[in-house]
Amino acid sequence: MTFPLLLAHALVARQDLPIPDWLFAWGASLVLIISFTALSFLWREPRFEDDDWRPLSERIGGLVVNPVTKGLAAFAGLFLFVLVIYSGLHGTDAPDRNFSLTFAFVTFWLGMVALSVLFGDVFRAFNPWRTIARGISEGFRLIAGQRAPAPLTYPDWLGRWPSVLGILAFAWLELIYGASGLTVGLNPHVTGVAVIVYSGITFAGMGLFGIDRWLERGEIFSVYMNMFSQLAPLEVRNGKLGRRKSLSAAGHHWTDVPGSVGLVIATIGATSFDGGQEGLFNSWINSWFRHIKDIGFDPTTAFRITESLILVIVVAGIGAVFWLGVWGMQSVDPDRSIGELRRKFGHTLIPIAAAYLLAHYFSEFVFQEQAQFTYLLSDPLGVGSNLFGTANSGIDYTVIDAKTVWYVQVGALVVGHVIGLTMAHDRAIALYKDPKEATRSQYWMLLVMICFTTFGLFLLSQGNG
Amino acid sequence: MQSRARALVVLGVIAVAVALFAVLKGNDSSSSTTTTANGKPLVITIDKSGKPVGGVASLTVNHGGTIHFTVDSAVADEVHLHGYDIPKDVTAGGSVTFNVPATIEGVFEAELESRHEKILDLTVNP
Repeated sequence: MTFPLLLAHALVARQDLPIPDWLFAWGASLVLIISFTALSFLWREPRFEDDDWRPLSERIGGLVVNPVTKGLAAFAGLFLFVLVIYSGLHGTDAPDRNFSLTFAFVTFWLGMVALSVLFGDVFRAFNPWRTIARGISEGFRLIAGQRAPAPLTYPDWLGRWPSVLGILAFAWLELIYGASGLTVGLNPHVTGVAVIVYSGITFAGMGLFGIDRWLERGEIFSVYMNMFSQLAPLEVRNGKLGRRKSLSAAGHHWTDVPGSVGLVIATIGATSFDGGQEGLFNSWINSWFRHIKDIGFDPTTAFRITESLILVIVVAGIGAVFWLGVWGMQSVDPDRSIGELRRKFGHTLIPIAAAYLLAHYFSEFVFQEQAQFTYLLSDPLGVGSNLFGTANSGIDYTVIDAKTVWYVQVGALVVGHVIGLTMAHDRAIALYKDPKEATRSQYWMLLVMICFTTFGLFLLSQGNG
Repeated sequence: MQSRARALVVLGVIAVAVALFAVLKGNDSSSSTTTTANGKPLVITIDKSGKPVGGVASLTVNHGGTIHFTVDSAVADEVHLHGYDIPKDVTAGGSVTFNVPATIEGVFEAELESRHEKILDLTVNP
């Protein structure tokens, strides 16, 4: 039994070749060699601890962030939001010919991560739910003369957990519901409806807890993109664009909010699950599927149950590796609790999460963006329109060859590993005054990262969905 | 517990997890015929229920080679080679042959389009 209709297939008709054994071996060895040599020549004084944000000059900062650009971004976000819903509900049912799927799951979901890593929290400016809610709030103020206070206080312990759940729900919709194997579950219509339902949840959250609080804690996409923006060298504070040291912000206060580490782990877990669906986990999925179907479920339900279980197991496994590493590290200095170390080192997994995304979705992004800017641009509903004269162009699968994809994949994982390790090193020397303790603590994080990176390479060598 | 003891525990857990995975994942018995192109086309036979006889066929060729296969079908449908995006109609009881230069690297599939039935896994290596 095979399941040919995964979402990636529904959109892209080409899958990556598994990386060859020799490249896997080189990648894994490189990771080990770099890791151990890096520890001996990396700096001895922490460099990422200080908050060194400073505003750019008025001219440059003001050119990028001003009322006009803010208004344009808000309008663009709103326009695309409406277009996703409209094309989803009124466009063609063919997943690859409809604007909604490619835009939501490829252009936005993957492209915005890249923008966040490079340029900071740009999604905030485009966020359509924020724009709408602020509009309503402003309207209320004009009529009532004052802003409506949030009726509930957001509980501190809840932290970013709603978003962790949300990321898993999104992954479930995309990878499991959407890949229900026997019938394509995720079609444009479902996408349109899902956006409407999610908007309802978001407005309810903002109405109950306040717009900004919900955006910081519960709105999946804001929280997710904000996580990646922690690596970026740019940040807007109090309306001013400023520079900061790349990679440094992640370690400052981001992980202090409960659920933050869970968010990174859920991200790595969901990507691993998708990567392994047709490779490493394929026979596992098939054998559990047969057992669950034998209990008496219909094939689609059995498939969804199987995949849901395996998604949970994969995320839990990723979490367990991190937890074990932290548990080991705790033996270095018994005065520090596991909870404290988890918070102190959780941010070092963000570059690994970004590397996993790049490795697994690079080719899909390159191919599908060609569709986005050709026929999906000119014919977003898939009904035969040709707005910009590009409706008849399509995807050229020869723009990147298999070797380029392999090198990007392995390169992404190795670079992500090195960055994660560097951040962990910086944190360790800041945390442990005794250099010996710092070194010993790092062996544990090194173990965690080697696990993640070789696992990532292994996933790629077993075929990539 | 000392660091060394914890290290042993962690290594033990990883070993158990790997072993458990090897057991849990079970055996995948889904059949497929592996054939490489050497002059003669790979023949895929489709039965009356619109399924490939003997499971999904597989074909591996190198970039620059030729993707060469024939579909003998008991049902009428469109055979679609994805990625290369070549559709060819086949009549019930008829056959259709693909003879295509392998210019795009990657993993692709051919389907009976209206049935969404995968009949071929195609791998084009660099």
